[in-house]
Amino acid sequence: MCGIAGILFKGDHRNLTTGQALINMLDGCQHRGPDSTGFALYRDANEDELRLRFLVGHGAEAEQSVESIKGKLAEYGADIISEEAIGATYCFVVRYDGDVQKFSYAMENVAKLVSIGESLDIIKDIGGAHDVDDIYDVHSFNGSHGIGHVRLATESDVKPESAHPFWATGFADVSIVHNGQITNYWKMRRRLEKRGFEFHTDNDSELVAVYLAEKLKQGATLKEALKGSIDDLDGTFSFLVSTKDEIGYAKDRLAAKPMVKFEDDDIIAIASEEVSLNKLFPGMALNTMEPPPGTYETWHR
Amino acid sequence: MAQIDLGAISVTEANKLIRQYGEAGEDVDILNPDARHHIGVGLTHPITARVHGSAGYFCAGLTDGPKFVIENNVGWGLADNMLSGSVVVHGNAGAIAGVAIRGAEVVVHGNMGSRAGQVMKEGTLCCRGNANFMAGYMMYGGRIIILGDSGDKVGEDVTGGSIYVAGKIQSLGSDAKVFDLPSDELDSIMEFLDRYEIPFKGTFQKIQNSGKGLRYSKIEPRVRNIPFYTFSGESDYWNQKVQEDIHVKAQIGRYRIRGYGAARPLPHLGDIAFRKDLTSAGSDSGVLDRVNLATEVGGKNGADPLKLSMPLLIAPMSYGALSKSTKVALATASRLSGIAENTGEGGMSDEQREEADQLVYQCLSGRLGWNIHDMQRANGLEIYISQGAKPGLGGQLMAKKVTKEIARIRGIPEGIDLRSPSRHPDVLGADDLVIKVEEFREATGYTIPVSVKLGAGRVRDDIKIAMKDGFDYVQLDGLQGSTGAAGNEVLEYVGIPTISAIQEALDALAEIDCSGQLQIILMGGVKDGVDAAKAIALGADAVAVGTGAIIAGGCIACMQCHVGTCVVGIATQDPEHEKRYNTAVEARNMHRYFESIRWQMAAIADAHGYTDIQQLGRGDLVALTPEVAEITGLPYEPGYRNTQPVAAE
Ligand SMILES: Cc1cc2nc3c(=O)[nH]c(=O)nc-3n(C[C@H](O)[C@H](O)[C@H](O)COP(=O)(O)O)c2cc1C
Repeated sequence: MCGIAGILFKGDHRNLTTGQALINMLDGCQHRGPDSTGFALYRDANEDELRLRFLVGHGAEAEQSVESIKGKLAEYGADIISEEAIGATYCFVVRYDGDVQKFSYAMENVAKLVSIGESLDIIKDIGGAHDVDDIYDVHSFNGSHGIGHVRLATESDVKPESAHPFWATGFADVSIVHNGQITNYWKMRRRLEKRGFEFHTDNDSELVAVYLAEKLKQGATLKEALKGSIDDLDGTFSFLVSTKDEIGYAKDRLAAKPMVKFEDDDIIAIASEEVSLNKLFPGMALNTMEPPPGTYETWHR
Repeated sequence: MAQIDLGAISVTEANKLIRQYGEAGEDVDILNPDARHHIGVGLTHPITARVHGSAGYFCAGLTDGPKFVIENNVGWGLADNMLSGSVVVHGNAGAIAGVAIRGAEVVVHGNMGSRAGQVMKEGTLCCRGNANFMAGYMMYGGRIIILGDSGDKVGEDVTGGSIYVAGKIQSLGSDAKVFDLPSDELDSIMEFLDRYEIPFKGTFQKIQNSGKGLRYSKIEPRVRNIPFYTFSGESDYWNQKVQEDIHVKAQIGRYRIRGYGAARPLPHLGDIAFRKDLTSAGSDSGVLDRVNLATEVGGKNGADPLKLSMPLLIAPMSYGALSKSTKVALATASRLSGIAENTGEGGMSDEQREEADQLVYQCLSGRLGWNIHDMQRANGLEIYISQGAKPGLGGQLMAKKVTKEIARIRGIPEGIDLRSPSRHPDVLGADDLVIKVEEFREATGYTIPVSVKLGAGRVRDDIKIAMKDGFDYVQLDGLQGSTGAAGNEVLEYVGIPTISAIQEALDALAEIDCSGQLQIILMGGVKDGVDAAKAIALGADAVAVGTGAIIAGGCIACMQCHVGTCVVGIATQDPEHEKRYNTAVEARNMHRYFESIRWQMAAIADAHGYTDIQQLGRGDLVALTPEVAEITGLPYEPGYRNTQPVAAE
């Protein structure tokens, strides 16, 4: 129940920051999801540095949360390099070189962890693209790529934590935005849980993220992981996935959910609707294409 | 030539202007379209509109007569339901290009997305490039010409019409078959291509329905005909009806199709009682003067609401399932009682429009009988998602009822066992639905309320979606709701009861802090004013009756609805049977039945000391069974089950 968008700059940014490009694209399809908006933004990674963003709320509740996070960070030997409170979130950059999966499960258990990664930062909140930008200053973010999502909430409440994008719980730097519904959700989730993976929502997008991240961890390329997802996941879906260096899409075999793509020498942009792509190039007739059913593709930055 | 700049004004303002230019006969240039949705929707004049760039969803949709030229790409639903005129797209088209067209000519110079020409009825859809997955899905007529390749499953579930493919066919859909191409058809294609200046040398493979799946191989036998009343209300295992079902299956080897609704006992409004001693209710004939029953429905977003003399509507019932005489009688009765009639599936007839003061026009997945002109003369537009008798499934109209006249109105081949699609071509989620609702509003200038009909399945989610997608009101139909034809097992076991449905709907609105912000019309087994008053006290804004109206109008429940041999001329299209129906008399009978509902609602409200029916509330109700207490949250007070009402304490 939503709209998705993603962009990867291969060359010239054409006067657009990554943040601004995603804001424009999501604003263009806000009719598909007026309840909440989110961004997964990728910046250049610093070795051994991890960025963790938590949802902590406000006031005393937030202070308490931050305290317990700091305790946990210390316990895992993660040194805080910088920290910042913004909106309902709290962001830490830490130096940590241990096992990320264990570390992030532990962090998840002290507070609501939104994302973790060397380059990934997920910003999501209730309201439209511009509302979220007003609080989180998304437009000044510039990096190589990012994906975003607008949500129409039906099955769960309008809360920041149920906004998208979803991070692949336990895996650094993998994020997903998804339009559709995975119908073999529980079957796939149980399979992954048996192998020790944790889930922190009942949202099918989290499942797609963890599914792909697990394949990547096993050594698959992003392309191979996407190919597998078309075979293994049932239901209707059009999704975008992003890692530190790559962006990709997969579309179900029934082509039930829309997706349009534009590519030239400098950028690759994908969105639910062309109207979002045109927001990047007002007044221009774009050479776009709709990916066929059951297809996937990836781009490297 | 007039110019409209979409960089400067909204699509809504632009569409108003385009229609004004249409009336004046002036062509328009549309600048800076930037793939915005709904460009040109609702235009019914033969002007030329040129879009300088890309257009979004439903470009040229719900139109009749104009010529559109789009210089670049278009989104989903190009030329949706276009009746006549032409559209030429110089770039690519998204999914369902030419969906439900009924005579228009649509040319796409680039490629087409999935399901092109879905449920189209007449006209030509031509693509110079390749067509994606399932071109011609569920098409009923007309032709699709594909000069490039066609993707997987071309012609999936095609009923009528032809698909011509010049390039490779990746695979054929079920029920589709390749036929020889007659030379006159090739000539006609070449004439079309010449007219649109499309150079082409070569030939085509022609794809049509294989002729195997259009009818059930065996139809329901004439059995002893136990009337509905005999077979409902008993135990739901070995009873006469179960025996009859088995007999039918023994003859035809499949589930039995029948009319009416669930026959097994279910928790219902009868398991709820008023707390108040109502024995004296109605002894006074002046109640109608003392209680306000007038109700407006559908005005929340600024459209002209339905103005009902009481919180009662006639449930949507299709012309097709019912005879024209019956639809006209319902329309007359609705006028006499000051309430609203609903077309149901299958289109609007002039007679029905003239008789009904307030007529809601229903749009179903097959877009059977759907068109812009009837939209514009309706008092309400309704998107059917499902109904209580068969949530999640499409309509069924058996061959005997698909007469020449019905086939013409619906735009389908005559004499098929019509199974309407279970899904709308352009509604695959709440996100698409919001764009669809907007299309209807754009086409009718935001003056006509848009409602949604929901069968009770996942009511909680559905109601939230209805609220968020901006519907003006909801028609909610429980498991007890009837139908003209559906599979017996679906009728009996799919869905949730009417009282569970209203409860879930109210809970859903409360969960998203929207209590009282979406009007709900409840139906499914509402038989009289007492049921109506209970439904309103529970939290419905109004009720609708289907079966009750039909019975008042002469139905004897002979269970031949689906076969079309209704002995009283109601559920039939056979002129011999229809002759037996006295429209004027039955309209009066239905009117009197509606008046009895009015009177009972007023009497109950009055006995409570209320001056407005909407003052009835949950505090006035008790549950008579633990099950209904659990469903509704009403207090369980079995004492009220006594025929002698306990005195109010
Ligand atoms: C003969 C017949 C035809 C129907 N056709 C439609 C239809 O076209 N569209 C629709 O939404 N519901 C249709 N229904 C269902 C009714 O609108 C309504 O949901 C149901 O009859 C309500 O329950 P009730 O019969 O117990 O009053 C039909 C019902 C009957 C009996």
